[in-house]
Amino acid sequence: MTSLAIKASPWKRRLNRILTYLSKPQNAILLALGIILTVTTIWPAFTIVRDTVTIHQGTVDTRGAEAGQVYTTFNWTDLFAPATKTAQKLAVINLWTPLLNSVLLSIFACIGSILYGGLFAYLVTRTNLKFKKYLSSIFIFPYIMPQWTLAVIWRNLFNSHAVTKGADGLFASVFGINMPAWWCQGMFPSAVVLALHYAPFAYILIGGIFRNMDANLEEAATILNTPKWKTFLRVTLPLVKPAILSTILLVFSSAMGSYPIPHYLKLSTLSTKYVEMNVQRTGEASILAVIMMLFGIMILIVNQRTTSGRKNFTTVTGKSGQSSVVNLGIGKYILSFIYILTTLFTGIIPILLFAVETFLPNPGDYSFITGGIAGHMTTKWWATAENVSENGMYGQKGMLFNETIWNAFGGTLLVALVCALVAGTIGTLVGYCVSKNRRSKWAAYVNNMAFLPYLMPALAVGVAFAKFGSSVGIYNTFLLLILAGTIKYIPFASRSALNSMMQLSGEIEEAAIIQDVPWWKRMLRIIIPIQKSSIISGYLLPFMTCLRELTLFMLLCSQAKIITTLLDYFDEMGLYAFSSGINLILVLVILAFNALVNKLTGASIDSGIGGDAK
Amino acid sequence: MARIELTHVTKRWGGFYAVDDLDLLIEDNAFVTLLGPSGCGKTTTLRMIAGLETPTTGRITIDDTVVFDSEAGINIPANKRRVGFLFQNYALWPNMTVFQNIAFGLSNIKETGLSVSPEGEIIRNPDADGTPRKLTKEEIKKIVARVSAIVKIQPFMDRYPGELSGGQQQRVAIARTLAPGPKVLFMDEPLSNLDAKLRLEMRSELQRLHLSTGSTFVYVTHDQMEAMTLATRICLISNGVLQQYDAPLTVYNKPNNTFVADFVGNPAINFMNARGTQKEDGSFELTLLSDYKASFTPSEPVKADEWYAEAEKEIAAFEAKQRPAEKTNKDVPFNYPIAMVTDMPDERTPDKEDWVVGVRPEFVSICDDGPIEGEVFSAMPTGMETTVRIRVGNFLLTSVIFGGITYKIGEKIRLRFTGDGATLFSRVNGRLTATGKIDVK
Repeated sequence: MTSLAIKASPWKRRLNRILTYLSKPQNAILLALGIILTVTTIWPAFTIVRDTVTIHQGTVDTRGAEAGQVYTTFNWTDLFAPATKTAQKLAVINLWTPLLNSVLLSIFACIGSILYGGLFAYLVTRTNLKFKKYLSSIFIFPYIMPQWTLAVIWRNLFNSHAVTKGADGLFASVFGINMPAWWCQGMFPSAVVLALHYAPFAYILIGGIFRNMDANLEEAATILNTPKWKTFLRVTLPLVKPAILSTILLVFSSAMGSYPIPHYLKLSTLSTKYVEMNVQRTGEASILAVIMMLFGIMILIVNQRTTSGRKNFTTVTGKSGQSSVVNLGIGKYILSFIYILTTLFTGIIPILLFAVETFLPNPGDYSFITGGIAGHMTTKWWATAENVSENGMYGQKGMLFNETIWNAFGGTLLVALVCALVAGTIGTLVGYCVSKNRRSKWAAYVNNMAFLPYLMPALAVGVAFAKFGSSVGIYNTFLLLILAGTIKYIPFASRSALNSMMQLSGEIEEAAIIQDVPWWKRMLRIIIPIQKSSIISGYLLPFMTCLRELTLFMLLCSQAKIITTLLDYFDEMGLYAFSSGINLILVLVILAFNALVNKLTGASIDSGIGGDAK
Repeated sequence: MARIELTHVTKRWGGFYAVDDLDLLIEDNAFVTLLGPSGCGKTTTLRMIAGLETPTTGRITIDDTVVFDSEAGINIPANKRRVGFLFQNYALWPNMTVFQNIAFGLSNIKETGLSVSPEGEIIRNPDADGTPRKLTKEEIKKIVARVSAIVKIQPFMDRYPGELSGGQQQRVAIARTLAPGPKVLFMDEPLSNLDAKLRLEMRSELQRLHLSTGSTFVYVTHDQMEAMTLATRICLISNGVLQQYDAPLTVYNKPNNTFVADFVGNPAINFMNARGTQKEDGSFELTLLSDYKASFTPSEPVKADEWYAEAEKEIAAFEAKQRPAEKTNKDVPFNYPIAMVTDMPDERTPDKEDWVVGVRPEFVSICDDGPIEGEVFSAMPTGMETTVRIRVGNFLLTSVIFGGITYKIGEKIRLRFTGDGATLFSRVNGRLTATGKIDVK
């Protein structure tokens, strides 16, 4: 190189510029990830849309189509512009009622989880509530446990032969109480269960802000002689508003895509209706999936609007860190008692009930309470070592010897492990690269692409990958499960990585760049060790969530492939002891993993859900 | 060891020009400070030279190597420029001990002709034959021992950064930067996180370091005192545009414009609006401080009309410059502050008979036979010197007097402007017309 001015030809200059751009690892990775994520997100979504206008042989949409015709508008017109009276009735049953139910369910779940979780967040961070430590760890149990756990518990508690048909639940068989139908099935229990399941979101997101909020802000209002209620409404509440908003967005989209809860509690929503219609009316079912996707995109847009606005106070932190504690007086015992009671039902009793169920001689047969354990409990569900059809075993071996169960369990572990590794790694890279290119539009795009599946209802993503999988011939393979799981869970890792990388000053890495430390060494020796705990939770969250995921996977494989779909299968067969037993194993495995990782690394699932209130 | 040259370097984000067409020549072994208010582009300039930021256009050479040239598409990454960089918040790696922090960069060096002197200095001979090699553990230890002795941190080698005080962290950061023997050392406000006393101490150590390493130092600061005391040359930047590049005392005594005059010096310079014309003998007949008549005699002869013609030509050239995007951070004339008891903005559009006279506080002296009448507005003795603010009509003048003298507030005094260090600026464009002597009648 000389110091003479050289004027390179334009194409050479362009080439040089591209090479310079790509010589930064973060740029090269961003480019690659952007392309991969675009394909894996857009293509499956596109296949659903195409599916809505495709003629499916053997389903209703062949009606009126000529031979050789490939596309039809029949599916859309039948749902949105029905021609006949019967068709109108069908449209109401197949589209409008489930849509209304889905929206209402999501709204109720939002309100419920924010009230229940937000109040808890306030009590834990801002008052002298008793037993805070115990309560705050037990409070997030419902989120760690599979979604349907509480729905199944609800069913086992309140169902009765008189009202809902089928076996009697605990209330009916032991106390002889038959709860009314609206309490047992439909909107009310679904909303309550969803609210309980997502309340930990509200607690973690809102609690995070309460915890970091500078007490001086409230003290300033107190000094100015503002009444307490006014301080709360005008100062405290506006500050937690972003957290409330992000809770709403998360819960709304999760509730919309939830399949197991409305399924178990017999509410017709978009997701249950999709599964119902999938075989007979494939094209129309795909329209339901498209509607769910549109909701997801809408939520993403709202999320963008609200987080980029001026009124984003999430960085409100103070140096005082000394938050003033509200004295509840005698209330601290009463409120703790109430929360201990409710968390008992959401955290401890489910596990106990699952355990008990696996020892009942017949489903719903709680005679051991009155008749004594001997003779009224059995270990047959666990210990039967051969195929028998008597005793209600339907030709299955006991759980301890049942290869189908253990194979499915192995399958789940494999999927969860690979998903966690891939999603965690990609998510961490996205977080790293985006934090390095804060101003770049491309980085923002990649970040959004990685984030989109988070706000997509799980069932819609499942449908998309099912269509995608069949079209490329990988249906019912672990590859497809892993692909879907990875894409759906990248946001967990990318968000926690991005949040923590944003807090890491760029100078930390630049200090190494200046000294000519290669990129891989910078990552391994500096970035990763510093961000250890958030990166681990970026791997942990996909793993945990994968273990208990049903909605996303159920359309992608045969039922014996992984443990959650197998559980669903046993449940439908009426082998409740098996479904409870699998539930029990799952919950215990997840809790054990959480505790183990927490012990080893200090990272925990509760610090990872959403990270901060973005 | 290293000479740095910037030619027409511009950095912009859309229409925002962080650095606007900067030409700068940093001589070998110089200690240059980039000075300016926050957001003026000084850090961006430093980062562009180091390679941490890519200029939009322009050309940068270090020694005889072109490290960046937008025309030729050359951009040597930061890690290949062999420079040292001291960060504002030290950027020590919290997961490594002090020893590891310093040694980490050394373990990456792989060159031909590498050797280490018994004192622990890296000797490079890139033209030597043989295969490139890395430093041995022993050699690294020797180098770490040498640099840690320079900044006196030997007792802390096994500690983690979190266990050190701010000053100790700063020393570790310096040792880490010095270890690979960079030919240029860049520092980005390295002392701003230290307390006042420590800052003074580190300032003198940096000066010693500059002498003993013989490297070229480029230093960013917004603290004019730091710039004045350390630098061999100050590069003063405002709104991305170079204002003045001179030795500290030149900047202080002959500021290019009102911005420079105001930015450098503490307490700040006294500005007075004046109106008048140049006489035959070259002196200016002025009216200032409402109704005082004064005469300003330039130290070097200057012709007002010729000077104006020259300045207008330069301004026209600056404005005619081709820009790919309109500059959204507009260059507006510096709004120099005039201290008054009650603010009375002068809304008249200035013409060529309007001037600004600048008098440094040390040239405002209180004496019984002074021509200007005033009263003490406030007095702040520090022991070594006393800063007095004096009210003259509605105007306030600041005076610094050596020694601790107590004044009563409200006391009537008389004062005069002494010395030939007064400055005369045009109010039309804010540029320095002349320095000289001001006599109030």
